Amino acid sequence: MTVAALPTVALGELLRSMADDEFVIGFSDSEWTGIAPLLEEDVAMSSLAQDEIGHAAALYGLLGELTGTDPDVLAYDRQPDAYRHCRLLDHGRGDWAMTIARRFLYDTADGVRLDALVDGSWTPLAELVGKLTREERYHRMHATLWLDRLARGGDESRSRLVAALITLGPDAATVFTPLPDEATLVDAGVLGAPMVDLEAQWRTAIEPTLTALGLPMPPPGRDRERGRLDHGDAFRWLWTELNTVRRAEPGVTW
Amino acid sequence: MTPAALEPWEVFRQEKEGGPLQHGGSVMAPDAELATHYARELFGRRQESVRLWIVRRADVVDLADPDLLQPPLDRSFKKPGGYVMRDKLAAAREASGQAKPKARSR
Repeated sequence: MTVAALPTVALGELLRSMADDEFVIGFSDSEWTGIAPLLEEDVAMSSLAQDEIGHAAALYGLLGELTGTDPDVLAYDRQPDAYRHCRLLDHGRGDWAMTIARRFLYDTADGVRLDALVDGSWTPLAELVGKLTREERYHRMHATLWLDRLARGGDESRSRLVAALITLGPDAATVFTPLPDEATLVDAGVLGAPMVDLEAQWRTAIEPTLTALGLPMPPPGRDRERGRLDHGDAFRWLWTELNTVRRAEPGVTW
Repeated sequence: MTPAALEPWEVFRQEKEGGPLQHGGSVMAPDAELATHYARELFGRRQESVRLWIVRRADVVDLADPDLLQPPLDRSFKKPGGYVMRDKLAAAREASGQAKPKARSR
């Protein structure tokens, strides 16, 4: 397919949403560096967070090529309202249970989204997604094994996990917020199915895991159309953190 | 249920296919699944390994008995240095008509 035939605007929205998701969860999880429950987990979570920033960099790179924009400008120089990550990632780091619940909900949803892109018609994205999928499989293993351990780990860890899932639940499906003009992406073969279908696939995929552990399924989403808008104070704080160095001396090179 | 106790796991890593598995270090973990994750992060996240072996330290057979490993009597007769190969090799070369190979360049 030639680039001219691509639904470029909708493709840009897709790339921006994916890149912002990875960027924001990467920065949120990097807040565990130095304070994770044990040294080995500190290394593991920091490494996962770095993976996500790496995925964001690759996705911003594609978006930059599509729009002729410097990826660093995309990542760091927008105002908070211009980010399009999903509201699931707007809750702040929270405790370890909150982080694991968020990782489980996000990584499983991201996996379904990646599966819907890996055979897509736009080769640069399909090839990148093939690589991301290989790392995200490991991320899902990590999130699922911790979900299992917290659910079975005694009263305190279980009650914290349930509380986290109840807090995050209504926003979990915002990963599948319909994109502007997403029908053009489906028609062009870039995206395998509409987001509403992917959400249904995701619910089917996670139900056995949550049910087996006696954990609550995420309720139906609320305010579906605005799932990637209206970022709150937790993200505004994170935004001032993640671009601190960038703002300290604008335009500086390393 | 009490929190799972951490215990040490020894990690061996192979740098390339066919190479030896060498001890990389150890991780603390409550079970094999988490030990595998931590081993991956500490000894494989920079693509420095193609295979890891993760072994519960308690499962390792530890032999450090000096009577078995460092016996007091002279054991030099068990070392290969007791046999001088140089003359045998020279005789074999002569019989086959081959020249002595040059020293390998560094």
